[in-house]
Amino acid sequence: MKNYFHQATGLGMAVYICCILSAASIALAFVGAEKAGEIMATPPALGLSALLALLLILRGGFTLFNRRYYSAMMHLGCACVVVGWLTGQTAPYLDQGDKGPLKGSIAMVDGDVMNALWEGAYLTNYVGKLPFSVKLDKFIIDYYASSSVDQSAGRMPPIKEYRSRVTITEPGKEPYTKNIVVNQPAYVCGYHIYQMSWGQSQNWQGQPVTYTVLQFIRDPGLHLVYFGFGTLFVGILLFSVRLFKVRSPAPAPLPEVKS
Amino acid sequence: MMIKTTLQGGLIYLTMVFFIATLVASALRQRMLIKGFWAAGFLTAVSAVLWRGIHTGHPPMQNLFEFFLCMAAFLWPLSRLSSWKNGIDTTVKDAVLGLCILFPAGFVFGEEVRRLPPALQSSLFVPHVASYVAGYIMLARAALMALPMLKKGCPPAEMRSAEAASRQTVVVGFLLITIGLVLGSLWGKICWGHYWQWDPKEMWSLATWMVYAGYFHLRLKTGMRQPRLLAVFLWIGLLFVVLTLTWINLSHLFSGMHNYA
Repeated sequence: MKNYFHQATGLGMAVYICCILSAASIALAFVGAEKAGEIMATPPALGLSALLALLLILRGGFTLFNRRYYSAMMHLGCACVVVGWLTGQTAPYLDQGDKGPLKGSIAMVDGDVMNALWEGAYLTNYVGKLPFSVKLDKFIIDYYASSSVDQSAGRMPPIKEYRSRVTITEPGKEPYTKNIVVNQPAYVCGYHIYQMSWGQSQNWQGQPVTYTVLQFIRDPGLHLVYFGFGTLFVGILLFSVRLFKVRSPAPAPLPEVKS
Repeated sequence: MMIKTTLQGGLIYLTMVFFIATLVASALRQRMLIKGFWAAGFLTAVSAVLWRGIHTGHPPMQNLFEFFLCMAAFLWPLSRLSSWKNGIDTTVKDAVLGLCILFPAGFVFGEEVRRLPPALQSSLFVPHVASYVAGYIMLARAALMALPMLKKGCPPAEMRSAEAASRQTVVVGFLLITIGLVLGSLWGKICWGHYWQWDPKEMWSLATWMVYAGYFHLRLKTGMRQPRLLAVFLWIGLLFVVLTLTWINLSHLFSGMHNYA
């Protein structure tokens, strides 16, 4: 029994697993991001990931028991990241359906009030309702100052920033205002709200309007993933400090290396 | 292939001249000259990075041209660190590496200034890219230090010191690419909405990370019994790094969200 355990989670197996995962990553790089995400969401991929997490937990637990804390932190940290990811992936099957959808977007023009999320290339598929409502107060685009190159080419300078100022109304609370900028998402009721994109179109009267697209994402496994990142990082830090404590070997003692 | 006639180009070519002078001095065994040229190359490499930063008005890490400039500026301190920590002299290898890094910056990549798009305006931009710059340099140097391990009939003493030096170098590189990967992941969550997007460049970075994880497990399993296999792992890792920086960045086959270069 003990032998099987060490064969399944031992160093030799770990070398093979690292090589296999490396090759699999490259294979997924060739199929492109969208297809790779779809492949990884299929049950076999989820099952293999769960198996990987199990092996990591077993090994991490074993090294923890042996008081090799740096190794335990690295393996358990990786396990937390995988389990956290699996939590997010399996949430639609495990949720009771009362927490709102996991992901969706809204396209709005100034003044719109909405609480339904959509998906698809043209945001035409309904995915569910948010537990709060969003009103777009104003969408603003800032440009860089026009340079001499821009002027001689007769073009607009590139965009510096675009942001949506929204008013959030949670049930039973006072409405409040948030700014949503690229790289500065807002966090409301478990949802991160992202400034995804913007565009120009016409309203029903034929007048030009500028719309903003906000994306709403809820990920129940996120905290576990972050915890895993932190643990993994501390583990690798301890590991490298340990490696540096081993002094560069003096040229003297030769034998003890058997081939 | 093009020659830059700007101050930026001049600084790059001057750095390359100093690196070549280091190699020549090394062939002539002039110790003072080696030290002098090698340090002068560092100063010009740093000036090239600083000038780029002043000229563009943003941290010079946006595209491949700026990334390679930064890599060259990291060489001298890391080389000094190795000689202090491991007692081995890597000046010649590092100067060759520096020339390989600066050649594309000097003759292939364009130097036109682009202003930062909204997605790159983040406090994680510099730490994410800087840890990859330093990490890749360390991994490349580790592979060069492991060269004696590939030789047939290498004396055991040389083998041991090469192994120790390359392992201590690679662990720093591994730590740095882990920081780069984790910071990139956090930034991805903040900017794109998810910490992992299955983007081709992410997948290649993960593949590189896995190669080095495999290296450490193999070292623990076989110790010094298979030094060649260890060196082969380091060289596969370096191959992945080079591919990530060139093919994956430039080929349309791997277009994705990292296409700023």
